[in-house]
Amino acid sequence: MNTSHRARALLGSRAAGYAAFVVLLLAVPAVFTRLPFYTMSVAVLMCLQATAALGLVPLIGRAGQISLGQAAFFAVGGYTSAVLTGRWQVNALLALLAGAALAMGVAYAVGLFIFRAQGQYLALATLSFGLVVSSLANQLPLTGASDGLSGIPSLAPFGVELDTDLSIYYLVAGVLLVAVLAVDALLRSPAGDALGALGDSPVATEAAGVSAATLRRGALALAAGLASIAGSLYAHWSSFMDPGQAGLLNSVQLLVIASVGGLRTPWGAPLGALVIITLSEASKDLIPQVFPSATGNFDIIVYGIALIAVLLFLPRGVGGVSAVLRERSARVRQDGPAPAATARTQKRETQ
Amino acid sequence: MSQFFDFTLSGLGAGTTYALVGLGVALVYQVTGVINFAQGDFVMLGGLGSAVLYEAGMPLWAATLTAIAFTAAVGGLLDLIVIRRARGADSERLIILTIGASVTLQGAALLAFGADSHFVPPFSPGDAFDVFGAIVPRQYLWCAVATAAAVVLMWAFLTRTLGGTAMRATAMDPETVRLMGVSPARMSLLAFTWAAALGALAGVFLAPLQPPDASVGIPFGLKGFTAAVIGGLVSPVGAVAGGLLVGLVEAYTTGYLSSEYKDTLTYGLLLVVLLLRPTGLLRRPSVVRV
Repeated sequence: MNTSHRARALLGSRAAGYAAFVVLLLAVPAVFTRLPFYTMSVAVLMCLQATAALGLVPLIGRAGQISLGQAAFFAVGGYTSAVLTGRWQVNALLALLAGAALAMGVAYAVGLFIFRAQGQYLALATLSFGLVVSSLANQLPLTGASDGLSGIPSLAPFGVELDTDLSIYYLVAGVLLVAVLAVDALLRSPAGDALGALGDSPVATEAAGVSAATLRRGALALAAGLASIAGSLYAHWSSFMDPGQAGLLNSVQLLVIASVGGLRTPWGAPLGALVIITLSEASKDLIPQVFPSATGNFDIIVYGIALIAVLLFLPRGVGGVSAVLRERSARVRQDGPAPAATARTQKRETQ
Repeated sequence: MSQFFDFTLSGLGAGTTYALVGLGVALVYQVTGVINFAQGDFVMLGGLGSAVLYEAGMPLWAATLTAIAFTAAVGGLLDLIVIRRARGADSERLIILTIGASVTLQGAALLAFGADSHFVPPFSPGDAFDVFGAIVPRQYLWCAVATAAAVVLMWAFLTRTLGGTAMRATAMDPETVRLMGVSPARMSLLAFTWAAALGALAGVFLAPLQPPDASVGIPFGLKGFTAAVIGGLVSPVGAVAGGLLVGLVEAYTTGYLSSEYKDTLTYGLLLVVLLLRPTGLLRRPSVVRV
């Protein structure tokens, strides 16, 4: 196959992938209202969580910078929208953009320092950053302290009030689609290649004249921006923000969604949200029948087991399964040593 | 002044339990290179386990010992089921695995015991001590004695016995150690079991002071990380010093500011330590090699 053929085939499969995704998103309202566990509010939640988890793909999957503070940026967006629209009657779109700008600014500022810590230290540092944000939200009068903020107005773009789960679903599904497209485009751009190189070898990347610090900050700011937008939409949808939204469990949930779906592909986050939120909703229904004493957020056990199982048995996540199968069949067909590209992805995966 | 003294004593008292948690974190890190996010959940399992067994009618001493043994077994199982299979994985994947373990343990405790707090009486009856005007619950003395005993035992094991030497050597050079006939896998199992027992020890001794519920693992784990990171993650003495420091910071903020700022400052302290000295306050940074 010559290069132009391959490019066209690739483009064709990408376009087909997006077409299938759009069809799926449009089919959700018809399907979700007819199944157990699935309601439109679950669908909205899936889109929001997928959007918030999506930024972890370039940040963790490519640049190799783990973050346990993603929910903090979700909360920055949610609280900014809540305060600006609820208290000061600012336009919702402006408030959403202000939240994203604030989250990205905070991420940039934090990024100036936080990447001094690497590996497990970075995990601890991002974790403690998230906890500082959630405990601040728990105290400040501006954020309503531990009571949180309620009565956040619903969105009304162009005078159309989005006050039902179905109507807001179309908005959040559209936002998710745009976000997947944007992250996909980024990963295929030279900046995406540089991020991948950074994850493979920070020292070699620096030696090639690319600033690792700038790339990492950029990836963190992007992750923050996406989480913030999801947070803003969440605030309008639920009309309520509380400090728990910034907490560790939510950060872990976003990490689980991205890891289970696959950290190397933009499809990982939507896929992970579908799998994890389905399991979580199903367990909320089924577990109390087996364990009558169960109270509290016991469905987190699903996140834990799913995370362990995926990391042990499917290191590339559910979304990586087809890629693994394809590579395996390609290797069998060639009946020779694995092609260089395969070897490289395998090396990345074990990192 | 007496108020300051009061805060100092209660800070040191709570700090001893954080020191135990930090010891477990440092032990596992030293032997396996993993920061174990489930360490706080060992504290939860110990405290909650002993409280539930005591409420079920078991004598206090038996409930305490059973809870510690059970938690140690859980630690061992965590190593056998999860960590051993992920041998050779990078540190990010290992840390995410222990996060998964932490969340699983917390969820399992919620399933088994629900979200309510459980209660145990203090180990020795009687009024709190009056130390120069400062009121100190007797239980803190138990915490301090348990911590001191654990530190001495661990130090003696690591430096004075063959098994301990093998364990420290595993931390430094697993390949050479394997050639010498020591199994790094067995050392990892030992480290996780011990760390779980240390966490459970902290949990059972603190249970009479802070009634445990299924969600206390996260805050305890975080204070343990802070303690261990301040100590540079490899030094038992450093972890103890770090634990006491965390206890003091907490007690002074609670006393002089407000209990609400306690967590902000503790987590802020962890963040600052990580940003200023990513390799710990008590340890020289090492050179990064390609």
